[in-house]
Amino acid sequence: MSDVNNNIKSKGRVLVAMSGGVDSSVAAALLKEQGYEVIGATMQVWDYSSCDIEEGNGTCCSSIDVDDARSVADRLQIPFYVLNCEAKFKAAVIDPFLKAYLEGKTPLPCVNCNTYLKFDHLVRKMKELECDFLATGHYAQILNDDEGRPHIFTSEDSWKDQTYFLFTIEPEIIPQLLFPIGHLNKPQVRELAEKFKLTNAKKKDSQGICFVGNKGYGQFIEEHVDRKTLDLRAGLIRRYPEGRVMAKHPGIHLFTYGQSKGLGMDHHEKLFVIKIDADTNTVWVGDEKDLFKNEVEVVDTHLLSQINDGETLNVKIRYAHKGSLAKVFKTEKGLRFEFAEPQRAITPGQAAVMYREKQLLGGGWITL
Amino acid sequence: MKKHIYFDHNATTPVSTKVLSRLHEGVALWGNPSSIHWAGQQTKTLLRVARQNVATALGVSPLEIIFTNGGSESNNTVIKSLFQQFKNSETRNEYITSTVEHPSVLGAFRYLETQGAVVHFLNVDLQGNIDLAHYKKVLSEKTVLVCVMAANNETGVLFPIEEMVKLAHDVGAKFHSDCVQIFGKLPLDLKKMGVDFASFSAHKFYSLKGAGVLYSKKGSEILPLIHGGGQERHRRGGTENTLGIFSLGLMAEEISEVSKKALAVEALRNHLEKRILAEISEVTVTHSGAKRLPNTSSLVLSDVDGETLLMSLDVKGFAVSTGAACSSGSPEPSPGLLAVGLTREQAQSSMRVSLGWESTLEQVDEFVDTLNSVVEHLRDLNPNYKKSKMKQVLASQLKEKR
Repeated sequence: MSDVNNNIKSKGRVLVAMSGGVDSSVAAALLKEQGYEVIGATMQVWDYSSCDIEEGNGTCCSSIDVDDARSVADRLQIPFYVLNCEAKFKAAVIDPFLKAYLEGKTPLPCVNCNTYLKFDHLVRKMKELECDFLATGHYAQILNDDEGRPHIFTSEDSWKDQTYFLFTIEPEIIPQLLFPIGHLNKPQVRELAEKFKLTNAKKKDSQGICFVGNKGYGQFIEEHVDRKTLDLRAGLIRRYPEGRVMAKHPGIHLFTYGQSKGLGMDHHEKLFVIKIDADTNTVWVGDEKDLFKNEVEVVDTHLLSQINDGETLNVKIRYAHKGSLAKVFKTEKGLRFEFAEPQRAITPGQAAVMYREKQLLGGGWITL
Repeated sequence: MKKHIYFDHNATTPVSTKVLSRLHEGVALWGNPSSIHWAGQQTKTLLRVARQNVATALGVSPLEIIFTNGGSESNNTVIKSLFQQFKNSETRNEYITSTVEHPSVLGAFRYLETQGAVVHFLNVDLQGNIDLAHYKKVLSEKTVLVCVMAANNETGVLFPIEEMVKLAHDVGAKFHSDCVQIFGKLPLDLKKMGVDFASFSAHKFYSLKGAGVLYSKKGSEILPLIHGGGQERHRRGGTENTLGIFSLGLMAEEISEVSKKALAVEALRNHLEKRILAEISEVTVTHSGAKRLPNTSSLVLSDVDGETLLMSLDVKGFAVSTGAACSSGSPEPSPGLLAVGLTREQAQSSMRVSLGWESTLEQVDEFVDTLNSVVEHLRDLNPNYKKSKMKQVLASQLKEKR
């Protein structure tokens, strides 16, 4: 009766978060092949009816993707459900995303989606549906330490590794998590998709942030924040460090640290956004050398394993960052990192995530 | 083999074994019924027999039967046809319906409102009573059409159509009743009801999807929604869905079974409700005191999320629904349940069980057993439930102390 996939002996029941992309589809297929009883679920997080996503070119959560996930579930003959998470997604991901831009930060919505939806809402669904595990298509691995305790480690595919987005996971749920493709690289995952004859085997990788679509951040923010609020964020562009006024700008939400294109100024030298001061709505621009810093402080830290004060760890300050060695120190509000090499464009709103070799230890939110 | 138990007959019914075993006869007749030659004549005969069967089943004349593609089309046809006929009338331009109608009725009336029509919506209270006082107040010689369903899809509640028709006719208004849910579940006497129009759907009565009926009483004019080649006496264009109509004609022959089946299904439904109310705490049956369809039970299980409950039951092989089938995937609770006065929370904790002719006592018992354990499991995981339980325990301890 409870045996949904007619397996004679099941390794347990797994709820697989299926986005409709290749990675989570192959994750589901592998689990089915390994003898798990698999249930697929897609989170409907955003109303895409007004998005400008081209057909067959969906990003990670468009409505086309729900159909793709469903077709994979059909192919694997597993039960499949669409969970409506629009309200939760708006409150936990979209609203903080908009707020961060208005505060001169560059937000990281994928972490909030993981914190409040994938590894919270779906964990609850997993329990409600009497599943033993929750699986996702993240490029990450769960490996046991010498004492047999599971921890999160980086993916075999260092290019695709997504552990940066996982630093807020609660350590106590790790024993119930499965990352079935973390030991593979992307070409291998695509090969498996072909082998399993999954309809989305050739689908493009998702790029950027799923709900923004092809319009770009600026337009997304302007469509979702009222004009009055945006106008309050207009201000001046000043030359760093002396403070000479270079131009006016229509809103600090249009800028990010390190940006050099689209500054809307007539200037001959190559300038970069060095700093965004939300209190005065000032965007500071200057030479690239002024973008480099040796230190960063983080708040709202989350630890998956113990760290030692003064320990040298590998620290990533953005997803695409390879990681740099830094000494870590505990502070009143969180942690301070002292990098061995100066780092370019350390950006408030992004996370600094720590690793001991390949093990994910936790991280915190970069602040000024 | 995984067991499948289907308790969602208000969404659709399984195709009967009779229809399944004889479908090939309908498939073999492929001619266009409008053709003059032998091939067309065969299919024309198929339509004639089916029309006669349906007319007999409903106690009306074959000329009063218009085949459509289903309930939504039939509802739209009546509402828009009457609007077309009366839109320029200065004396008769108002419509009356209820807040708990099928979306095809509510949607058509919302559209009419954009075209300038005045539509009155009658409320239904928590006991399942339609607001007859309001009805009498708004019903007048201005009323073109009254449109109230015979039985509600979500709660199964029955409305006093006969009484309402008499009042409508007294002021010269026409009356349309969406009979999709009552058809095949309770004996039906259209002549006695007195309605001018009524809608039916084949797939709610163990036949194929894509065929339906619009009953249009002799003397009531119907303008086509779909203009075409003059089929259905110029009341519905397009080549007929002969296979679907054939299947409905076969089931129409079984209409005499309905009263007997209704009793059997009602006994099962009552057994189901009795067990659930006795064994699971904090459950209410919506409209439990009202006259209801014999197969339908709309339950509110407090502190249980309906969507999750549905999935949990589905994983175990049981098919039920929350509210209407159209609402799945929607974050909003069923508008029909909100309309009868349930809170958002109650509507989101609702589940509809709708039994059918093939349902058995063993299935019902197995369902209640499973429901019991699933509800307990879900409540255990619900922090709100734990809190309210704690409060109750504390309150009772306090009482004892006093």
